[in-house]
Amino acid sequence: MRAGNLNQQVFLETLSSAAFGLLLLYLLRSGDYLNYVTPRLQPYLYFTAAVTLIWAAAGATRLRRPQRRPRLGHCAVLAVPILLFLLPHAPIASTDISWSYAGGGALLSAPSPVSPVSSTAGLALDAVSGEETYTPADLPAAPPGADEADHSIVVDNDNFYPWLNELYSNMDKYAGWQIYLTGFVFKDPEVFLENEFMTARLGMTCCAADLVPYGLICQFSGAPALAPDSWVTVEGTIQAGEYDGWPEPQIIVTGITAAQEAPGYIYPFG
Amino acid sequence: MIAPVYVLTGFLSAGKTSFLNGLLDREDWRNIRILVVQFENGETELSGPGDSHQNLLFPLRELEQRPEDVARRIRRQLREADYDEVWIEWNGIAPFSALHALLLHPLLHNRCRIRRVVHIADGAELEKLLGRTGKALPEQIVSSDFVLLRNEDAGGAAKIRRLLRAVNPGVRAYGINSYDDYHRQLLRKTWPPLPIFIAAAAALSAVYLIAAGRLTLLGVPVNRIVNIFLGIILQAAPFLLVGVLISGIVEIFVSRAAIESRFPKTNLGGMATAVMAGFCLPVCDCASIPVFYGLVRKGVPLPAAVTFMTAAPVINPVVMLSTYYAFNGNMRIVILRVFLGLAAALAIGATFILFPPKKNILGGGALSRPLCGCGCEDMDGGAADLSGKISLLLRHAQSEFFHMGKYLALGSFISAVLQTVAPKTLAASGSGGGLLLSLFIMMAMGFLLSLCSSSDAVIARSFVGQFPPGALMGFMVFGPMMDIKNALLLSSVFSGRFITRLALTAFAACFILVFLYANAGGIY
Repeated sequence: MRAGNLNQQVFLETLSSAAFGLLLLYLLRSGDYLNYVTPRLQPYLYFTAAVTLIWAAAGATRLRRPQRRPRLGHCAVLAVPILLFLLPHAPIASTDISWSYAGGGALLSAPSPVSPVSSTAGLALDAVSGEETYTPADLPAAPPGADEADHSIVVDNDNFYPWLNELYSNMDKYAGWQIYLTGFVFKDPEVFLENEFMTARLGMTCCAADLVPYGLICQFSGAPALAPDSWVTVEGTIQAGEYDGWPEPQIIVTGITAAQEAPGYIYPFG
Repeated sequence: MIAPVYVLTGFLSAGKTSFLNGLLDREDWRNIRILVVQFENGETELSGPGDSHQNLLFPLRELEQRPEDVARRIRRQLREADYDEVWIEWNGIAPFSALHALLLHPLLHNRCRIRRVVHIADGAELEKLLGRTGKALPEQIVSSDFVLLRNEDAGGAAKIRRLLRAVNPGVRAYGINSYDDYHRQLLRKTWPPLPIFIAAAAALSAVYLIAAGRLTLLGVPVNRIVNIFLGIILQAAPFLLVGVLISGIVEIFVSRAAIESRFPKTNLGGMATAVMAGFCLPVCDCASIPVFYGLVRKGVPLPAAVTFMTAAPVINPVVMLSTYYAFNGNMRIVILRVFLGLAAALAIGATFILFPPKKNILGGGALSRPLCGCGCEDMDGGAADLSGKISLLLRHAQSEFFHMGKYLALGSFISAVLQTVAPKTLAASGSGGGLLLSLFIMMAMGFLLSLCSSSDAVIARSFVGQFPPGALMGFMVFGPMMDIKNALLLSSVFSGRFITRLALTAFAACFILVFLYANAGGIY
């Protein structure tokens, strides 16, 4: 058989399947897939990589099968995503979000974090029957970073969401505690008062399409001077506040310092 | 010199020989030295060879039994005279691949090479023939560069062309007497597809590199669109894969007879089974559509299949869990979503009992396997053993994945663009309106955004305060059943008429049910 007999369709199908499978493996090994989807998808992506690599291996045995009129257009299904993955682009940052999706405050009319443990927040009717709410037994112990003696919490970047949960579910316990929390300054004039902002991180539920800010509302007289989307570490006191009629933990800010941007997103249901 | 080969295919009595006679008789063809090779004895005789035309005739049986002899005789003939062209009239009931194999024979491949394959079809017969003549005819159509139609108006010119394109996507068809058109097609220079594909990929990359920065300056959120697009693709691809694998298992391991004997005979029983299946398969809409197609193909009654397709993405455990989380553990919302989704799915299924579609719902008309244009014509090899079936399953799934993936990718892209534009615009226009308007807007948003049903609850949650809960419920019930992505996925195999009907019915059912329930104060 000669080289001229290469079946171009099988060749390109095999090539794009192999490249897609290898790319998935790379994204999984490097953790970069987390810029697009949540950790929950990891096993599915391994499965997809396995199947596409099997396709590639099976295709390699059919490379010489003659075919009049090879069709290649459908290979774009994999080729276009592969190209886009390889071409330069940056993960979505808060600066992308605030002027696009939530321009009218659309996503944040209820800015409390979506929390599986807050039986009171939200649209709520769950108090109707007790069995529908989580009991504390479901909860892990408090995330690391708390100093019981000192009544202070230093929230490191990896524990942002666990601490949100913990604060929501045990608001009374932590009222009056000192907290250090790092996030970006999220402001939305339709949602927050002038002396308010949210120390927020972007949270992903499913994929990059549904990134929304999660965080705690901070009361700070110097809020108007804060640059939106800048990264800060706030230092303050936790208080049992209220937003739109629902109780929620808030921070009375006592100090603010500029901070390094925290890499990655948070995955509330990860 | 390598002689260019022109192949004529077409079913028996499609008029291949008369076409060839007419062509060779033309003034401008008389001086071209042509070798005509025929593989069947048709009703029409090839008119007496002129000075420059030679004729070889082989019974098909001879090619099957002694291909080497056939190749040797053609080679000898080619050496005798310096032919300008070879015309082959191929047998109407033999697969094209047999001829292709002959021309790739070591004795011939450096003597002659296929230049064009022309299929000749009788418009009055085509639909009937495609339905009942096995694989050779579709395979001939798939392999052809263009089609010449006799009696094109007899079968309805537009319909015939649609039929042809269902088999061979994008194929052009001309009337058999439009000499100028097909003459141009015969001579047209063609480019090998692989270099074109590579050039297109390079061009796309170059455009992206040059334009991305400028578009961003103009306010187009390119980076965000790319991320969302890739996010949706990564999210959807595994589920589409699961869907095509399940569909492939149904196709290869479940016989039509088993479905006919085991599947509940009554519509009610069928729909109940569909609901159970929808509940048990933790799949989103990307997966339920290929499975739906597999079920329809295997003869599952349409009402049950439609109920499955519309119910599965709303009522499955993954969706319930994500809704539960998104709404802070509010079981009432979860139950309502499942309940309304189920009711709407059953209502949609019921409309297909009351008004069964009169026309074939598959896009390819009479053709029950519209996917046969994907280079998998040899897949029905009837593999009996398990390993053969598994390899068949993999190829079937791959072919469907690529085929449906095109529509998924397009839908994802549109959705990615709309997600950066639509929520702001739509929310602004509908915010604060009455239930009717806000429900309509949220359902339209569900259609346009094409979110995965396992994540749409979070987006719905983010509109709390701006829209009444009833409107959010409409978003969560209708969105998974029907959206841009789903409509495009369906259009890969189903007719536009069917998709339109399904979409409108789904919209109406969801709208009415959610509106009535919300209006009665049931959603808060």
